Amino acid sequence: MASLKTRAERVGNKYIVNGQKTWTILGQYGEWIFCLVRTSNEGKPQTGISFLLIDMKSPGVTVRPTVLLDGEPEVNEVFFDNVEVPVENLIGEENKGWTYAKHLLSHERTNIADVNRAKRELERLKRIAKAEGVYTDTRFRDEIAKLEVDVVALEMLVLRVLAAEKSGKQSLDIAGLLKIRGSEIQQRYSELMMLAAGPYALPLIHEAMEAGWQGDAVGAAYCAPLASTYFNMRKTTIYGGSNEVQRTIVAQTVLG
Amino acid sequence: MDFDFSDDQEQLRDAVRKWVDKGYSFERYRAAVKAGGFERAAYTEMAELGLSGLYVPEEHGGMGMGPVEGMVVMEELGRGMVLEPLKQSLIAGALLAGYAPEAVKAQWLPKIAGGEALIVMAYQERAARYRLDICETCASQTATGWELTGGKSVVPAGDQADAFIVPASVDGKIALFLVPRSASGVSTRGYGTQDGSRAAELSLQNADAALITLDGLSALEHAVDIGIAATCAEAVGVMDKTMAITAEYLNTRKQFGVFISSFQALRHRMADMKMQLELGRSMSYYAALKLNAPTAERRAAMARAKYQLGTSMRFVGQQAVQVHGGIGVTDEYIVSHYFKKLTQMEMTFGDSMHQLGEVASRMQDTAGVFA
Repeated sequence: MASLKTRAERVGNKYIVNGQKTWTILGQYGEWIFCLVRTSNEGKPQTGISFLLIDMKSPGVTVRPTVLLDGEPEVNEVFFDNVEVPVENLIGEENKGWTYAKHLLSHERTNIADVNRAKRELERLKRIAKAEGVYTDTRFRDEIAKLEVDVVALEMLVLRVLAAEKSGKQSLDIAGLLKIRGSEIQQRYSELMMLAAGPYALPLIHEAMEAGWQGDAVGAAYCAPLASTYFNMRKTTIYGGSNEVQRTIVAQTVLG
Repeated sequence: MDFDFSDDQEQLRDAVRKWVDKGYSFERYRAAVKAGGFERAAYTEMAELGLSGLYVPEEHGGMGMGPVEGMVVMEELGRGMVLEPLKQSLIAGALLAGYAPEAVKAQWLPKIAGGEALIVMAYQERAARYRLDICETCASQTATGWELTGGKSVVPAGDQADAFIVPASVDGKIALFLVPRSASGVSTRGYGTQDGSRAAELSLQNADAALITLDGLSALEHAVDIGIAATCAEAVGVMDKTMAITAEYLNTRKQFGVFISSFQALRHRMADMKMQLELGRSMSYYAALKLNAPTAERRAAMARAKYQLGTSMRFVGQQAVQVHGGIGVTDEYIVSHYFKKLTQMEMTFGDSMHQLGEVASRMQDTAGVFA
């Protein structure tokens, strides 16, 4: 992240922004965008980054959606071509953006564990498994049981991290574990839901995935989006710092 | 043991590979997906190469070939992610040749070989999941033949096929029937599937049918086993191509000033993927070797093969996306399509968990390639 190239040049009471952002989630709906921009090339890369709020209706801003493997345009490329941004839109101090970003990231790593969603999805997995008749299949049920233990263990890990933060102790050394485990669990429950539906996860009927659709389902109505969700969840071990990068960071905390 | 392919088998492989490389590009695949997942012209081209009649006996206009030739063909089609279900023609050709009365054989086998008739298996029912012995569709005898009433799901190219092979219950016992799509009482509802190919729901209301065999469950199991062997081979082709795409990307993409193929974590991952590919290839060979074995041995062997291939497919598909990073989850770039194909294949003819149960229930005291 410190190697970012989007530049913001201070000219009078404006910044002129040039560059490109990628993987901007839901950018096609955004009205404003928070951007990390390079405002100085002096010193270490981290010390020349600023945090700017940019109106996406500004001239020079172009948004190009990227369709993901589930067929949905969830992320975007955002291009900045001599975009003028009032200096009032600077967040905090110039060249202090890295500090603000790190603060946000520390919260991303606990949020991204997404324990509460995992608990809800585990409930939904059990409902689907029961409806599909696989909850009584020991083999399938054991897989759900393993996932249940994983979710509870992750919840305990998150509670420990939160407690340490509250008490003022630094615990970023296990925060990386939250992202790794959280993403793996997300992938596993989405996978098990798809497998529970089995053959009935295979039809791809776009209308059937829309909210409020009342047409004929192939299999049960809940089967329609399961494979698409499984495909979409493959991103979780890639974004937010890939799990490979996370493991390198964790390894450093152990090995130095 | 000799695992070398004969000259004829190599020539067959080359012919199919040439057709895929020159005639079935990613663009053609994309266009077919957009148009609904089935392009008849592509199927006809495969028939013209003799592929639809691969398992049809020569006296009925086919090539009269065996499991190894089928394996070679399916591998090559897998490499190109060919959407049109040639695999179903392999099954139909072998099934009718092995189990149908002479009149049915004479009427349909030449059409399969010639490409005029695409015949597909229509056996999936809601209550059955991956089991073959549960069948609610029923058949009743009439003065002129048979009538079928019931429904089948996720029938490959169901609204495009010319006829269906349908299990239906006769006095509580499963029998196998052939139902033309043009028969009265037949209706289909077509849709695309996750890997881009086409499928349909089939509805039968007193639909006219020709009997293939009253010994339906054995025939159905045999048909599925032919399908499993074909799917295993196809998966080897898909995984092989997936690995090649991934290796090229890792050796081309730079991050932090170096090629990402230099990162040890990714090198080890590729080694693990190579392991799964080769174990999968080995078990695809095993499936081809065992496809003509006595029934119990064949069933056990296909379960083992599909379990290994399912495990391999899942790992190779998931990891190929992972090591690509963000581009791996985009629709524009090719690897996600290979991943979705592998996902769908894992869930075809019984997923890995189902096959594990099959292997477990058939276990003997000893195990090996020849036991």
